[in-house]
Amino acid sequence: MMAASNEVNLNESKMVVPLNTWVLISNFKLAYNLLRRPDGTFNRHLAEFLDRKVPANTKPVLGVFSFDVIIDRSTSLLSRIYRPADGEQPQLNIADLEKPVTAEVVPVIIFFHGGSFAHSSANSAIYDTLCRRLVSICKVVVVSVNYRRAPENRYPCAYDDGWAALNWVNSSSWLQSKDSKVHIYLAGDSSGGNIVHHVALRAVESDIEVLGNILLNPMFGGQERTESEKRLDGKYFVTIQDRDWYWRAFLPEGEDRDHPACNPFGPKGNFLEGIKFPKSLVVVASLDLIQDRQLAYVKGLEKAGQKVKLLYLEQATIGFYLLPNNNHFYTVMDEISNFVGSDC
Amino acid sequence: MNKRNHQDTSGGGDYGGLQGNVGKSDSSSMSSGKAKMWEEEQDAGTGVDDELLAVLGYKVKSSEMEDVADKLEQLGMVMDAAPNLFCDTVHYNPSDLYGWVQSMLSELNNPPNTILDPMLQGQQIDDPLLAPAEFSSVPTLGFLNSQQQRQIDTTQSSRIYNDDSEYDLRAIPGSAAYPQTQDRESNRKRLKTSSGSNSAPPLLPSSPQAAGGAAAGTVSDSSRPIVLADSQETGVRLVHTLMACAEAVQQENLKIADALVKQVHLLAASLAGAMKKVATYFAKALARRIYRIYPQDCLDASYSDILQMHFYETCPYLKFAHFTANQAILEAFATASRVHVIDFGLKQGMQWPALIQALALRPGGPPAFRLTGIGPPQPDNKDALQQVGWKLAELAETIGVEFQFRGFVTNSLADIDPSMLDIRPPEEEAVAVNSVFELHPLLARPGAIEKVLLSIKAMKPKIVAVVEQEANHNGPVFMDRFTEALHYYSSLFDSLEGSTLVPPTQDLIMSEAYLGRQICNVVASEGADRVERHETLTQWRTRMGSAGFEPVHLGSNAFRQASMLLALFAGGDGYRVDENDGCLMLGWHTRPLIATSAWQLITTDSS
Repeated sequence: MMAASNEVNLNESKMVVPLNTWVLISNFKLAYNLLRRPDGTFNRHLAEFLDRKVPANTKPVLGVFSFDVIIDRSTSLLSRIYRPADGEQPQLNIADLEKPVTAEVVPVIIFFHGGSFAHSSANSAIYDTLCRRLVSICKVVVVSVNYRRAPENRYPCAYDDGWAALNWVNSSSWLQSKDSKVHIYLAGDSSGGNIVHHVALRAVESDIEVLGNILLNPMFGGQERTESEKRLDGKYFVTIQDRDWYWRAFLPEGEDRDHPACNPFGPKGNFLEGIKFPKSLVVVASLDLIQDRQLAYVKGLEKAGQKVKLLYLEQATIGFYLLPNNNHFYTVMDEISNFVGSDC
Repeated sequence: MNKRNHQDTSGGGDYGGLQGNVGKSDSSSMSSGKAKMWEEEQDAGTGVDDELLAVLGYKVKSSEMEDVADKLEQLGMVMDAAPNLFCDTVHYNPSDLYGWVQSMLSELNNPPNTILDPMLQGQQIDDPLLAPAEFSSVPTLGFLNSQQQRQIDTTQSSRIYNDDSEYDLRAIPGSAAYPQTQDRESNRKRLKTSSGSNSAPPLLPSSPQAAGGAAAGTVSDSSRPIVLADSQETGVRLVHTLMACAEAVQQENLKIADALVKQVHLLAASLAGAMKKVATYFAKALARRIYRIYPQDCLDASYSDILQMHFYETCPYLKFAHFTANQAILEAFATASRVHVIDFGLKQGMQWPALIQALALRPGGPPAFRLTGIGPPQPDNKDALQQVGWKLAELAETIGVEFQFRGFVTNSLADIDPSMLDIRPPEEEAVAVNSVFELHPLLARPGAIEKVLLSIKAMKPKIVAVVEQEANHNGPVFMDRFTEALHYYSSLFDSLEGSTLVPPTQDLIMSEAYLGRQICNVVASEGADRVERHETLTQWRTRMGSAGFEPVHLGSNAFRQASMLLALFAGGDGYRVDENDGCLMLGWHTRPLIATSAWQLITTDSS
């Protein structure tokens, strides 16, 4: 039965995305299948072998240059910084890399790449490219965090790394806008979106101000199977089974999917009433099987009186933002620009 | 703010009716006639790579997009039906999507041979979550402790393990490699390998470089990767001062340069760690250049060998180099009954015990192994090469590998004529040429590299294994070389720092001296004396290609083993193995530092 319904499914997904997008995401899907073992272990070596990575580059390409910084030696935490190049510099010297930003207001986006907590890195080509596009289009500085991944590093490692990065950014004087503050936004796709929420939550208790959260197809879940999961299971590159695997790999052993990391406003979650939580931009793709969870997240923020804008994209699948060959990509980029540009 | 924002894009032009659309590629370029199968000849030009995918690291011709999609679909169905089918597959060149998918589909028709290796403990080592176990308790050859025997018993009944040409990483020797006195005996480690199960790796045509400097998977000359470890104020000023000094040297403002050198030493004094050491070496090198104190004190070959040995012990770079080169050689020698390795720089022969041991464990028995070791003249007419040869012969005898050694003394590889090396015809003996950091010095003499590459061709090698530093320290402009070297050695020293024990060991100090000499050569020497003319993989690819070689890809098994080697031997967490278009690179965090590539003569007939 599975094989037959898959035939239909494969054709369906092919209809809604450009062919090269379909090829890209299907490739990931199949490669990722090879990496997840039924016993919960992960073929990390093969994952690293297959992942296409790119080096940082202090020579500006299309107006953007990048360099890597070791933020925390004890965890080998690295981040890749992307900055717009000013003027005609053919190349930046090591001494220029952390030169103070010059504009009046410089939004700094701390970016958490996706990969369901297990895949990809800050230097994965898909994410390096996305971050560069963010800089070009939205005129921001991007700090892409190479957080520790599951299953080798479970909850809360990724959040800890996000928190370390937030602190580092906040205390980097060269990133301060003219008001001597760093204007920080958190952004992420898939598991990165989940990390955004949890790092922002941690920031609430501190004196670090996060100006906004951007969640792109964020990864949330819960014990109960929602309608969208049942309806879209296996149809657009993603299955309930693989989602379950990743949660089992990330969450502490023995925990179920109502753990607040997975289900922040669920039965074991915390509601955010009365706390100063950043405004949120949440992008949901209508063909993402976990959209019910994402919509519930938005509702949860609304119910707690928090500012949230939902961008619901019809006929969009996971990964639509990896290639700039569709309207949704540009829509999202515009929204992000406005979101970080409209500071009160 | 809280309203739902519906974006109606169902009619949006970019989504509807996009079968065959390949993003922003110019559709006129897809209309070129011939459709070439990926196995066929290597010249590019038929069909343009999809630009959007190329930037993401995937080379897919626009004209092949539909084909690739079909194959992905097929593969998806197969995987759904039989999820474990590909768990032992060895993968090559993931950037070539078509090839990657095709080779998996081909496996359905030609399943790899599965041979149970009674000595394997693959199940254990294969699990990345398990700490590398049991390598401290080591039996002498011929005995297994009870734990190992138990593992073997369970493994024999467990799933079939057919990883390609693997050999036990624990055999990577330090000086413990050679048959020694009694106390060393107990350090010798048990070796295992498994069958060369898959056939020889598919020989993929060398792919044309993806367009533009931003293409994934290539550290092209137009990119400069930097990893900053030190954001301290003094660190930045130090670098500024070093660069200013180099600038002054380039412009022959020697008084200013001299003042700046002193300034560097002052600033360095207030630092600690890697940056301090790097700055100090660079400052000293600049001083030499200013005062024209070159060449540096001539080290005799034996002392520089000693420095290299310490470097070998301290950090994983040389182990990685030897290991990956051996992987390539092993794979190439899979079916040969007589093999001949020509080592362009024998030194202490650290690379060979592991290869000999791996050959010993080849299913079907070891080949007859001839090693020709090349090295520079020694002081006092010592025959260092012969000594190494004897040690290796002793080892080979103990393990039961037929072994012959010949040493070859020369000042330059360019002075060697293949006829001197007693090369036997390919039908009789498979030849491997091995060069670990030996090619770049040839760039100091005009014509030398070309001559050597011609010689290599004349040897008709089955495989040429090349390891080189991943950096361009050979540019014509001094400032460029200086800047590149500063970044490169900063990362290198940083990695040593990461793995250091406090207090610093003798090994570490010697390793730093080893690198310090390289820095000195890059910065202070010129002409024929400047031998540390490192060039990048991209540059070597061009050279090798022009000389008539094509790449032999290293695959996921070599990658995995190299990664495991790092876990075993690397002190720091920051080392990374990267796959780059069939080559393997070892780097510190995201900065690749050395690259291993494998080559063969361009095959003119289609096979």
